[in-house]
Amino acid sequence: MNWQAIILTLRLAATVSAVLVIIGLPLAYWIAFSRRRWKFLIESLVAMPLVLPPTVLGFYFLLLLGRGGMVGSWLNRIFGMTLPFSFAGLVVASVLYSLPFAVQPLVAGFAAVDRKLIAASALLGASPMRTFLRVILPLSLTHLITAVVLSFAHTLGEFGVVLMVGGNIPGVTRTISIAIYDNVQALDYASANQNALFLLIFSFVVLSLVYALNRRAFFVGTVQ
Amino acid sequence: MNQVLPLQEKNQPADRLLLRITKQFAKARNGAAGFCLDISSVAQAGITIVFGRSGAGKSTLLDCISGLLQPDSGRVALRSEAEETVFFDSEKGMSITPAQRRIGYVFQNLALFPHLTVNANVEYGLSHLGREQRQQRRAEILQLFHCDSLGERKADEISGGERQRVALARTLVTEPRILLLDEPLSALDVGTKLKILEDLQAWNKRRRIPILYVTHSVAEAVRVGERVIYLGDGRILAQGKPEELFRNLSSLD
Repeated sequence: MNWQAIILTLRLAATVSAVLVIIGLPLAYWIAFSRRRWKFLIESLVAMPLVLPPTVLGFYFLLLLGRGGMVGSWLNRIFGMTLPFSFAGLVVASVLYSLPFAVQPLVAGFAAVDRKLIAASALLGASPMRTFLRVILPLSLTHLITAVVLSFAHTLGEFGVVLMVGGNIPGVTRTISIAIYDNVQALDYASANQNALFLLIFSFVVLSLVYALNRRAFFVGTVQ
Repeated sequence: MNQVLPLQEKNQPADRLLLRITKQFAKARNGAAGFCLDISSVAQAGITIVFGRSGAGKSTLLDCISGLLQPDSGRVALRSEAEETVFFDSEKGMSITPAQRRIGYVFQNLALFPHLTVNANVEYGLSHLGREQRQQRRAEILQLFHCDSLGERKADEISGGERQRVALARTLVTEPRILLLDEPLSALDVGTKLKILEDLQAWNKRRRIPILYVTHSVAEAVRVGERVIYLGDGRILAQGKPEELFRNLSSLD
């Protein structure tokens, strides 16, 4: 089994999920509660990765963040950083690509919280931040778990974006899905099978854990 | 129950709530007529019944007072002998947030936090106090409303009557300057309702804050109301003492 690729993949998925929670919570809050007329534009933008092939995202990522790109040349000049074909670049691209998988469950969770509860919290003197932490977030707990797991699982199974943006550098950007592709190309079916089977079982266990957790939360009544 | 809180009336004259509110709602898309709230009144300390049919603007009035809705124009202020607290004044372009108004508001659906215990619900509005003080205030109010046995139970695991009591306790423990009640007792049987109302009256004997109590039950209005504001189609049709007002009600209908 290709442990190097497996560990790299898990590291990528964990980093992406963490970044997506940090970005996703405020973004989802804004989408759920803002009354701006142009809100639909942001919602569409967030949902784009659902309909676009990863090649499109990867292509513009390279164009923009590559050494000669607008943002890329600037990053290179100021920080001496090159994103394409690096782990950091993979994280940035994967975050963009999995954004809807984190944001959409959170928006659904926040929007389902009874507005009277939010009003009651404000009337009891709570700031919007306290209302969010004590009322909105606890009542959306299952949605938060769903968001984390979907971003994790989606990054785990990513192929196109990694290939476009990261290439195939062992220990840096060669994830498990890329390794399997390599195995198959080299007609090494035994290794391909080992790696694929690992991904299959691992994904099933993670998803089962989440569904079991949600089920328990539902019956305990912590989530309405 | 009254050994914990001394039952003595305030000496100074109690606060009055000054209201001048207009709020226009646009015509609905399905062609239904728009709605306009246009009210000017004074609510003295004590229980003022806000009476009227559904759609008369009762809840809209409470939302405007609490700051959950912004009136189009007018002024909402609380006047005591010494000072005046302005919540909203369209001429000066000022409006303070609901969180800053210290107005208690109990909704029809009560809005208890379902994921928190009764204790945590009641202490929710006391986060500015230390832990000991919070627990003491919570214990006092729960005792006053006969809920001291519920403490560690989740808010969605207690009975309907208990939930009404806890909702009142959660609001009153913060010592609000005004209390707004939007039919919080409508789902209860008469006996339970009257007991809760007696507790509320006992509480307010000491505080003498203005309480606006929305109902469409004449019996309730006569029983607990010190004054009545009778609303119809966003306007005040009549106001006065309950007995006099309801004696003449047939001529208003």
